[in-house]
Amino acid sequence: MEKYLLDYNWTVMAPELIIAGAAALLSIIDLLMKEKQDKRVLASLGFVAVLGALYFTVSRFGQQPYEILGDTYRIDDFGLVFKTLLLTGTALVLAVSLQEAKRKEITAQGEYYYLLLTALLGGMILTSSADLITLFVGLELLSISSYILAGIRKRRTDSNEAAWKYVVLGGVSSAFILYGMSFVYGLAGTTNLYTAQERMAEAMGNGMESFVYLSLFLMLFGFGFKVASAPFHMWVPDVYQGAPTPVTTFLAVVSKTAAFALMIRVILGGYLFLFNSRTAEGLELLTTALLVLAGLSMVIGNTVALRQFNNKRLMAYSSIAHAGYTLVPLATLGPMLFESTVYYLTAYLLMTLGAFTVIGIVERNAGTGDISAFAGLSRRSPLTAAAMTIFLISLSGIPVTAGFFGKFYILINAVATQHFWIAAIMLATTVVSYFYYFGIVRMMYFRPPVLEGKVKVPPASALVIAVAMIGTVVLGITPQWALEQLGEVNWAAALSPLNGGAPPAQ
Amino acid sequence: MISMNGEFIAFFLLSVMAIAGAVFMINFTRVVHMILALAFTFLGIAGIFVTLNAEFLAVVQVLIYTGAVSILMLFGIMLTRHRDETRDGGRPWHAFLCFLGVGGFFALLMRIIYGSPFNGETAKTETFSVSGLGESVFKQYVIPFEVTSILLLVALVGAIILAKKERS
Repeated sequence: MEKYLLDYNWTVMAPELIIAGAAALLSIIDLLMKEKQDKRVLASLGFVAVLGALYFTVSRFGQQPYEILGDTYRIDDFGLVFKTLLLTGTALVLAVSLQEAKRKEITAQGEYYYLLLTALLGGMILTSSADLITLFVGLELLSISSYILAGIRKRRTDSNEAAWKYVVLGGVSSAFILYGMSFVYGLAGTTNLYTAQERMAEAMGNGMESFVYLSLFLMLFGFGFKVASAPFHMWVPDVYQGAPTPVTTFLAVVSKTAAFALMIRVILGGYLFLFNSRTAEGLELLTTALLVLAGLSMVIGNTVALRQFNNKRLMAYSSIAHAGYTLVPLATLGPMLFESTVYYLTAYLLMTLGAFTVIGIVERNAGTGDISAFAGLSRRSPLTAAAMTIFLISLSGIPVTAGFFGKFYILINAVATQHFWIAAIMLATTVVSYFYYFGIVRMMYFRPPVLEGKVKVPPASALVIAVAMIGTVVLGITPQWALEQLGEVNWAAALSPLNGGAPPAQ
Repeated sequence: MISMNGEFIAFFLLSVMAIAGAVFMINFTRVVHMILALAFTFLGIAGIFVTLNAEFLAVVQVLIYTGAVSILMLFGIMLTRHRDETRDGGRPWHAFLCFLGVGGFFALLMRIIYGSPFNGETAKTETFSVSGLGESVFKQYVIPFEVTSILLLVALVGAIILAKKERS
């Protein structure tokens, strides 16, 4: 029996509907407000909407997966976990934005807030669909909102440069993904990932394997851009440097997480047959390609970061390196693929958010994006310096922080699947990363302050730093608990089709 | 052996038109000429759609690409500096590397296309209708359709806030 629109339970879409509604509402309120009025009330509204969506997302855990209209929207635990990460990240970015947007540079304050929401909506669509069309539309919604956000300080040339590079290279990467998807459609005659998987497996047996690989590698090209991994990383430093700091945080945290969700969903959902097929050749090819991406990202990210003197550029290269680490579980198909990826992404979200918030504060105070802005921070604001030290320790992966256990679980994945060389690269580059992370720590503790007086930390930013710090430390102290929680999640549901909303027959 | 029927001749002419338009688009130096060459490519592609029995797609191609996009670009050029010419970048190795990359990719694609067995019958495309398209867009794909409308709104808002002149 064919099901129509109203036969479905649309309440499962509550988080997306709330965010879409909030974005629409904000744009209308923005129209009604006076031009010179303080627009920060919009941020608070957006914040409430994100929390509401977060509530509906979290309350959905543990229930049966559900799909609407042939998987164009599906809700399963995989999507829920990623959506929780995206919503948390955006909520914290919105809180930090309160401070940033007060400055004169962002002229389009109202638009700034609802573009953040539409970008988030794109990310959420990206995590909760198994249809190529929906996935691509979600990806573009996220990307286009991000392009605009990167260039929103339009009087600054570096912001313009960031937006320009981002839109051109982002457009190219989207084109690659679309080209790959078109080959999938050509082979399978459907945009549904699971049906496509079955038919591609069939095509594989009929001598069309080169087309299957072509589609996969074209998409990998694009995914490489979107998760900011080397050798597709050229845009990252310029965009991270030129965009306003909260937007950089959003790109580093939310965009990257959403891109990983897309990558895992498409590779595991669409190309699962490669892992079961009798010929190990396909799997070997995919694993090698992903591991090369991961290894290159770690090496390039960590070594080039050594020579950076701008905070945000340094963090950009660090973000490239972290993309490399996060790719390892997917590449090796280790025993804890989902758990270790999500654990690492959570840890990365918390420590990066915290670090960028501190960088934003310090930058504003010193008026420069240089590393020297951190000079003597321990004397001017001991608490902020302590928090930043914890974030940096976590980023470099020293115990007992979330970053350490994240890397540890990833290493277990690599070693358990006998990929020793990637484990070696990971360890070596981690040691290299100590140099530049501790460069900042040295600045904070062993250099005399250039400026006088205390550094003012706005309350909203202080809250974000506190949340990020507590999260980093708690995840670092109780990693086993977190991993157990993640282990209870029904990951396998993401890999199997649902029949008309009902769970698959066992 | 390819039989020389009307369809083949039409396809040959249309593809020459599409490819020539694209080549000229890259090689012309005046922007206005580039747009005209681009419009020819779009028309050629629309013609190929007709030979494939995809009339609706052909009409859309003419309406949106040949019509709207080209005209929009022309307007954009007319309202700005329409005498602009591209100057040579002075980086010949750059062009060479690009050629190498694109040529390599083209060779790979051709190898894959000719190396794969296309057995199976051509589908009956005559039965695909516009009403079927409408049904799938508004029934099966209503969610991406709605998200696309948000996407367009975002693009519009973005274009305005980035291009708007401010009083200051």
